[in-house]
Amino acid sequence: MKLLDLKQKTVEEAAALLGVDPKAAALERFAAIGLPTKKSEEYRYFQIEKLFEKAYRTLSYVPHPIEESDKIVITDGMVTHAPKGMRIYYEQCQAIDMEHFDPLYYLGHLLSPHVIKIDLDGDADVEIEHRYTQSGALINYRIVLLNQANRHSTLFESFHAEDISDTLVLYGYDIFVAPDSTLRMLKNQNMHDNRYAMVASHRFKLDQRANAVIKSFDMGEDMGLQLIKAELDRYAHIDAGHLLYLNNEAQRGTVSKIIHKGEYATSHQEAKNILDGHSRGIFDALIKVEHSAKYTKAHQNSKAILLDERAYMAAKPQLEIYIDELEASHGSTTGQLDPKQLFYLRSRGISEVEARKMLVIAFANTLIEQVKDHRHQELIKQTFDEAFYR
Amino acid sequence: MKTLEIKDVHAKIGEKEILKGLNLELEPGKVHAIMGPNGAGKSTLSKTIVGHYDVEVTEGDILYKGKSILEMEPEERALEGIFLSFQHPVEIPGVNNAYFLRTALNAKRKHEGKEELNAAEFLREMKKYLEMLGMKADMISRSLNEGFSGGEKKRNEILQMLMLEPEVIILDEIDSGLDIDALRAVSEGINMMKDGKRSFLVITHYSRILDYIKPDYIHVLKDGRIIKTAGPELVAQLEEEGYESIEEEA
Repeated sequence: MKLLDLKQKTVEEAAALLGVDPKAAALERFAAIGLPTKKSEEYRYFQIEKLFEKAYRTLSYVPHPIEESDKIVITDGMVTHAPKGMRIYYEQCQAIDMEHFDPLYYLGHLLSPHVIKIDLDGDADVEIEHRYTQSGALINYRIVLLNQANRHSTLFESFHAEDISDTLVLYGYDIFVAPDSTLRMLKNQNMHDNRYAMVASHRFKLDQRANAVIKSFDMGEDMGLQLIKAELDRYAHIDAGHLLYLNNEAQRGTVSKIIHKGEYATSHQEAKNILDGHSRGIFDALIKVEHSAKYTKAHQNSKAILLDERAYMAAKPQLEIYIDELEASHGSTTGQLDPKQLFYLRSRGISEVEARKMLVIAFANTLIEQVKDHRHQELIKQTFDEAFYR
Repeated sequence: MKTLEIKDVHAKIGEKEILKGLNLELEPGKVHAIMGPNGAGKSTLSKTIVGHYDVEVTEGDILYKGKSILEMEPEERALEGIFLSFQHPVEIPGVNNAYFLRTALNAKRKHEGKEELNAAEFLREMKKYLEMLGMKADMISRSLNEGFSGGEKKRNEILQMLMLEPEVIILDEIDSGLDIDALRAVSEGINMMKDGKRSFLVITHYSRILDYIKPDYIHVLKDGRIIKTAGPELVAQLEEEGYESIEEEA
């Protein structure tokens, strides 16, 4: 399958190519906004068209018997392992967001008519391991995740690949954070040497007084983009943090829209980017405060350190505000390691190479150490070290 | 042998010449105080000795134990035993104070052919000095200088000095921003390092610190040169008459 074939197609033509019902709501929306191009706002820093030109092998998605394990394992888009008693189903997605900004969110739904639905019971602490084993393939799957009101859940995501050269992974979540609940979501990614691409298109809907902590730690190579849309109801809070450590030709990052819909909602979004080699980092993030979202607090910040003159950071934090009654700020800096800090360390007998390492790790640690669970924090530190000393 | 010999050093920051033929010799076991008005070049002198990137030496030489250090990197100078207590220690969020100091100490021990300290051995040593300086135990886990008060930063400099055991100790405005208690604690730490071998270079605006760290020599630095060297009695004259009264020695 070549995704470029979907370019500028009518609903009927796209339905025929994708083999889906022409009346599917997602199809109408997909056809209306069209396949993204290099001119599309959300993909302007990411060479998406390159991915559409390739021909991918499509996979058949037949549910496997699920083996018991201490974590959920999704192998090439299907659940293969799960903890005992975990409520996981395949079903049609009943609540597709009809206002998502990302065309690939709709394409993902069209290609995955049966989503993986996970109901988190109580104060759950769940790990999802994404495993990929197919090269030259289009791996697509979507996950719907629900937690319970007044409960506090943690979701830790990790990624493992065998040979997935020339594979495109399209995955994403539709997450509904219940009233008065907390969902912590940690994404820990360090796939490399695979010549793969991943586009992860997510939607978060935070109910009243819901709290979401979304931290992504991306130390991968090749191409990867996560696109996040989050809607905040009254008194909801989102704390989003994104760490990028890139090297070589990696091209990765985050495009997000956080939308304040209800009063007194708060958002904090922070990106730390460390770019080496010929890499490109992306942080294109909008916080939108609607008329209905009085007394919002919204803060957004991006900091990037370039370790090589060929590295490039596309940082675009933005605020779109329709009310006066709020507190908001945003900012972005890109630079090299602080020479004063470097000198201070060297003046104590620490070699320049070691001092530079310490500062890079320190910069990353400011985000990593926000992870409260010590075990998760150590896993992320370990992944960072592996990427850093690779 | 002199510990440090600064010979006719000219140095500039950017295009501006700050040190204009500075001569100074530090003797083993002695405390040398450098005093001078604002803009005289006191901090540039300390930066020049430790090899700060801002400073370019255009003429002259600096010998440490008879060997030129001008071509040495800052870390090499530190490993050889030159230590600067910074006037404004930089904050480094994310670098754990204990981890930083252990890395520095083990780099020095390795340089001296000694065995490196493991974490437990190091922490025992560090706790001993923390207590001595009246520093809180959370200094172990906090990020280097981040959110430290002025006094905490200066005590942390002295902690590093005590643990790294340098041979030439440069104290740049060590008393600035310190209350009496902190000044006393810091001074006690410095005085503990006096062993008859180490040389101290105390750079200061005011005489207050010299009540706690007794100098052997006072050097007046003005317009990039040492214009007078005398004993501690010079402090009283400077206090009374100011720097304008000092004539350059022939």
